[in-house]
Amino acid sequence: MRRWIETIIFWGALALIWEYGVAALGIRRYLLPPLSAVVIAGWDARDMVLSDAWVTLVEVLTGFFSAVIGGVLLGVAIHFSAFTRRTLYPFITALQSMPKIALAPLMIVWFGYGFASKVAATFMFAFFPVVIATLGGLSGVAANLDEHFRALGASRWDTFWRLHVPAALPSFIDGIKISMPLAVIGAIVGEFIGAENGLGHLMTLATANAKTDLMFAAILVITLLATFLYWMVELASCLVWWRGKVV
Amino acid sequence: MGQIMNLKKMKSTSELAAETAAGTTSMHHPLNAPVKDAIVVNDLLKRFPGKHSVNALEEISLAIKEREFVSILGPSGCGKSTLLRIVAGLVPYNSGELLVNGLPVTAPRAEIGVVFQTSNMLPWLTVEKNVALGAQLRKLPEAEIAPKIRDLIKMLGLSGFEKNYPHELSGGMRQRASIGQILALDPTILLMDEPFGALDALTRDLLNVELLRIWQERMQTVLLVTHSIQEAVFLSDRVLVMSSRPGRITHDIKIDLPRPRLPENIKGNPRYGQYIAEISRIMGVY
Repeated sequence: MRRWIETIIFWGALALIWEYGVAALGIRRYLLPPLSAVVIAGWDARDMVLSDAWVTLVEVLTGFFSAVIGGVLLGVAIHFSAFTRRTLYPFITALQSMPKIALAPLMIVWFGYGFASKVAATFMFAFFPVVIATLGGLSGVAANLDEHFRALGASRWDTFWRLHVPAALPSFIDGIKISMPLAVIGAIVGEFIGAENGLGHLMTLATANAKTDLMFAAILVITLLATFLYWMVELASCLVWWRGKVV
Repeated sequence: MGQIMNLKKMKSTSELAAETAAGTTSMHHPLNAPVKDAIVVNDLLKRFPGKHSVNALEEISLAIKEREFVSILGPSGCGKSTLLRIVAGLVPYNSGELLVNGLPVTAPRAEIGVVFQTSNMLPWLTVEKNVALGAQLRKLPEAEIAPKIRDLIKMLGLSGFEKNYPHELSGGMRQRASIGQILALDPTILLMDEPFGALDALTRDLLNVELLRIWQERMQTVLLVTHSIQEAVFLSDRVLVMSSRPGRITHDIKIDLPRPRLPENIKGNPRYGQYIAEISRIMGVY
């Protein structure tokens, strides 16, 4: 109970400092509007904010789940196939070291102004941590357990599903925790560069019209969305409760 | 090279002969023994990869009768664990012969159960499911597994902990569960690699007594690798002592203590102390 009270008081204090601090310090409204103005701007444009948030959410989730599926498949392939490890792995590593923001305009060129280019950008941002985490999890399976399964005459299939998968899950979930916020960044970046809707588009629109309060409202909604998605992953990670339980 | 090998061989043989004369050790089983050999190793050689490497195991020959309890003692790094893994079919060897129940070993076999030093429990499975895991991986029929696991859990004193997870158990209980997992496979040969090495002395003594009880009930052939002289003498029919670099069996000592062995009638027995003293002297730790 006490930690909730502390959290609420902390956030309340931050809100109050924002609300009254800007006036007290004489900061101009077009630079940083008070919190109440931001909330009001967001409320007035609620239909647009909600529909843009929905668009962004769908983009993030589509890109994120594609990245998870693709990342796991590639991670597994790299771990179990020497061919993939020698060919695709260095290729993917090279791709990863390119600045992804610089590639985002290319996504627009390739996939157009709509949904697909945002999903592609999201995928691009979220993909690599999943590959690395899957790979780390699989290669981190304790050698003694591998030997034990061998001594028990376990098939490759059983060894994979009953040992490698559960043993790799904690590391995999860590990768997902990094991937989720990156997926949100990917979608927003995609929307910045060229879009007709979405929260990133709303931000550029508000900036162009000098509506700083609406821009902050969009930032707040993005933050809420990203935080919510992160906590969903955090919640899912509770299912992998055996993290760190070495026996 | 051949000459040197021969000289080495002669030396170890003469040592063995000397021990036999002293009446405390015996050579391998008599040729026309009524019981069959469960494990036979003939002149086995194991080289570790690498240019200038010493042979890990050299001129290893031994025969273990069915239902015999044999321990291997030796300094760390002498290759005793490697030898056990070779017998288990987990590690390949370079030359020589290895027969288990009359058949050469090329891969892990169903009748060979291996218990390792670490308990190897899967943290995400309950004790019950961990004990059943081996039988499931070996594809025993489910209907057969359930009652067997129930009996084993009872026998190993794990009743009431079926639904607990391994991390909620003490090290000793986890090791009991690992032994249960292997016993569920009904192996005729039990290979144990320092199974109690990570446990405290008290738990170790308790589990030794329990291991003897299980062995007396089920009468498997046991090959135990250990670094405890007391444990080896208390449990075994024979103790093999190894030297390191290269790993060889230098002594084969028959432990002539009455069975069934219980701490109260063995640990006070003067011969128990004599065996320990003698092996300690052989191993240079006395």
